Amino acid sequence: MMRIFLLQRFSAIALLVFLTLHMIVLHYPPFHIDFDNVLERLENPVWKAIDIAFLFVVLVHALTGVYMVITDLDRLARYRGLITWISVAVGAAAFVYGTQTILAFQAP
Amino acid sequence: MTNVTIRVQRFNPDVDQKPHLDEFQIELTQGKTILDALHEIKEEQDGSVTFRRSCRHAICGSCAMNVNGVNMLVCDAPLKDFVDRRGRVTIRPLPYLPIIKDLVVDRTSFWEQYQRVKPWLLPPDDVPEKEFRMSPDEVKALQDAEHCIMCGACYSACQVVAMSKKYIGPHALLKAFLRVLDPRDSAPGERLTDLDQGDGVFRCHTIFNCIDACPKHLNPTQAIETLRKLVMKRQAFEAARAQRQQSLDQPISVE
Ligand code: FES
Repeated sequence: MMRIFLLQRFSAIALLVFLTLHMIVLHYPPFHIDFDNVLERLENPVWKAIDIAFLFVVLVHALTGVYMVITDLDRLARYRGLITWISVAVGAAAFVYGTQTILAFQAP
Repeated sequence: MTNVTIRVQRFNPDVDQKPHLDEFQIELTQGKTILDALHEIKEEQDGSVTFRRSCRHAICGSCAMNVNGVNMLVCDAPLKDFVDRRGRVTIRPLPYLPIIKDLVVDRTSFWEQYQRVKPWLLPPDDVPEKEFRMSPDEVKALQDAEHCIMCGACYSACQVVAMSKKYIGPHALLKAFLRVLDPRDSAPGERLTDLDQGDGVFRCHTIFNCIDACPKHLNPTQAIETLRKLVMKRQAFEAARAQRQQSLDQPISVE
């Protein structure tokens, strides 16, 4: 439990950094959502790495949060092991799928 | 003289399928508390209305109830402060606990969790001949937690308790905090190990309901945060504690 708690707290701190960057680059002036800009950015492998790391941190934070809330329920407490494995599997699948999408993104 | 409608949640397990609200009219007079209103209802209108109370001075903790959605001690709550815009006050039992009758709830899980943290002092083997010595700072650090009257307002306001009665709960964690930080206690390490279990300190979601509900203005959330830190630094803490304990019967050095 302590490890999950710490994972969630550390991922929250990392999210602060990533989300700030995300909001600045995508939403706030002088930047704005623009397909050409996205294409240009994703040409750069550093941005791809940042996006993959962002995806990882989001998944860790979201899944640890959901795990903690689900395992609060008395009735589900005995399935804790199963819930852990489902969370890991969902996280891994989402990470692989998301990473593939980011990597496949190329300017035509 | 203004009249107030008191809505009391009623439930008699022998007769009722589910709880319902009964309305009573009473006069709003100067200095009347919600507990006074309940007494008036019981004595003059419906003798079957059931509730717990004892001291009437906000010290025994038995009259904790939910008034207009907020847990509080009704003996300490002036009636006029809780009349809503429609001239009503709604009194329900503490939420998330099984109802025995009307406003009386079953506190078994509350006391079980309290017992679980061993709320008593476990003194060291070599008890000093005279009294234990504690510095004013050490006493001050524990003083708040000492003021808990075990009313259950925080416990039944906690959303985690609502979902699981296996969670230790803010009341017991506050007591554990008291014992872990008490320099006279000899088993802080074991206590911290127990608190590190799945239903211990890390189950708290820091919702702060316990602080809002506490009629003594204590801060169980802060105590839980402190315990979390100590659980993570258990070894260093235990070493410092062992050192401090050796000097418990010595005069306290003023630095
Ligand atoms: S009657 Fe004792 S605290 Fe209210």
